[in-house]
Amino acid sequence: MDCAIIVDSLIKNFEVTQKEPGLTGALKSLISPKKKTIHALRGVSFTIQPGELVGFIGPNGAGKTTTLKTLSGLLFPTSGFVEVLDHNPWDRKPEFLKQISLVMGQKNQLWWDLPAIETFELNRAIYEIPTHTYEESLKELTELLDVGKLLKTPVRKLSLGQRMRMELVAALLHKPQVLFLDEPTIGLDLVAQQKVRDFIYDYNRKYGATILLTSHNMDDLTDLARRVIIINEGSILFDGAFEDLVAKFAKEKIIKATLSKEDGIADLEKIGKVKKLMFPEVILSVPRSTVAVAAAELLQNFPVEDLTIEEIPIEDVIRKVFKEGLKK
Amino acid sequence: MTKYWSIFKISFEQEFAYRLNFILWRVRNVFQILLTYFLWSTVFASPTTEIFGYDREKIITYVFGIMIVRALVLSARAMDVSGDISTGDLSNYLIKPISYFKYWFTRDISSKALNLIFAVFEFLILFLILKPAFFLQTSPIAIFAFLVSIILAILIYFLLLFLISSIPFWAPEIGWGSHFLVTVVVIESLSGSLFPINILPNTLQSIVMATPFPYLIYFPVEVYLGNITGTALVGGLMVAAAWTGVLWFSLNFVWQKGLKVYQALGR
Repeated sequence: MDCAIIVDSLIKNFEVTQKEPGLTGALKSLISPKKKTIHALRGVSFTIQPGELVGFIGPNGAGKTTTLKTLSGLLFPTSGFVEVLDHNPWDRKPEFLKQISLVMGQKNQLWWDLPAIETFELNRAIYEIPTHTYEESLKELTELLDVGKLLKTPVRKLSLGQRMRMELVAALLHKPQVLFLDEPTIGLDLVAQQKVRDFIYDYNRKYGATILLTSHNMDDLTDLARRVIIINEGSILFDGAFEDLVAKFAKEKIIKATLSKEDGIADLEKIGKVKKLMFPEVILSVPRSTVAVAAAELLQNFPVEDLTIEEIPIEDVIRKVFKEGLKK
Repeated sequence: MTKYWSIFKISFEQEFAYRLNFILWRVRNVFQILLTYFLWSTVFASPTTEIFGYDREKIITYVFGIMIVRALVLSARAMDVSGDISTGDLSNYLIKPISYFKYWFTRDISSKALNLIFAVFEFLILFLILKPAFFLQTSPIAIFAFLVSIILAILIYFLLLFLISSIPFWAPEIGWGSHFLVTVVVIESLSGSLFPINILPNTLQSIVMATPFPYLIYFPVEVYLGNITGTALVGGLMVAAAWTGVLWFSLNFVWQKGLKVYQALGR
């Protein structure tokens, strides 16, 4: 097995019934339903090596979730080739299913009225995990995610953050080799987000698991993913290392400085593009190649108290990718 | 097998999570029995009355027979399948190494076990209060045939319910309406749980007997009462078995098609 995941020219269309608003609309669609085809994926191709942690970025409806669902065998591809761990996901063979897991931030598998431990026990039986292994993983996962004390609380009484962590435990008890995470930090507070992120990072390193992650939360991706795939309207716009994304699309860097005097402030224009000027704060945008020179000039010619050089925020970079992708 | 035993246990616990809900459902069943009982007691007020070949004792046994058979056959959970499909919760099962059909069948069995325990208690209590003249079947052949017909009834109802619950693959909004139509309207009236099918005119009776519905309630109860024997018994069991087969193949066919259009919604 060279690649954990192979996707080639994957196309997925959905038939959706259109409904006009109001009661007349409802009646109309009952008599003659208007069908519309939605092109969720328009020929997506990529491969992922075992042990990679890849981030999927894209706006709502870009096709991220559709890709994950196709890879885990939930959706039948309209056309194209998909292989995960040498299996066709659609066959849903038990030996394939035992090696994967899909966690959806907005869908729970835990039994709502029962304590989480019951779902775990059930999963132990379903995945046929040996008791010894099960107890070890359970102990380890609950410690890592800090939910040991909540095992006997009915799931409906858990907070969203606690529940999400329980979902992760439930999804990982069988130690999947491939993990699909769909918005794992959605709706969580900052502390809980960090906990989940740290955990995903550890899991990837410790077990060499292949992880495919979608998120709207840029911190998830900058912290976790070495490689990102940017997808919009069903097509891939960028696939590569995070640094390459920044280098390729962020042609400029940001210099932030704090000045002590207002003298000669107008001359700042000569050093770089002034993005913001609100004494004593100055923000300049400078071409990547000349950033060192610009910083030196600034220090020499202006009363600088403090100075930092930063990358353009990743959100801005990605916005740029979407814009340029749309122009193509 | 352990998988499904675990599902059986957790399903049992789940039923207990909503104790009050469960008790109210049982109370509803008792009322239904009482209503039917008093209705027929009034009709057969005089001990000598005999209508459609049923005397007081037989009709009362029929009513009590319904009670046990209902608990066994009509207590099912598979109608939740339609919800799973339209909300996308089905995805949770599809990504696990588990058969979704067997999963629900196990939950059905679990629900039946629980309902049966309660039905036996209710049966004893109502029996002691009302002291009805009850017909006890003693022929081992009839009892064996009764058990076979019950198993077929359970399978038919499971498959029927599953099939109806698969409609949301194509029409996600339909969920509850179809379930209502089938369980409440069709099954209640054609299964024999409101009245014995053989009070219908002959032509209508043979039409109804060709459908799978009377094999849910009417047929097993009649077999218990010893009203259906010999060729009629064998023939009936064969029709029931044939329906089980037809429904099983239809269900597999429908699911093969359905999963291909499944959209795994919910996000």
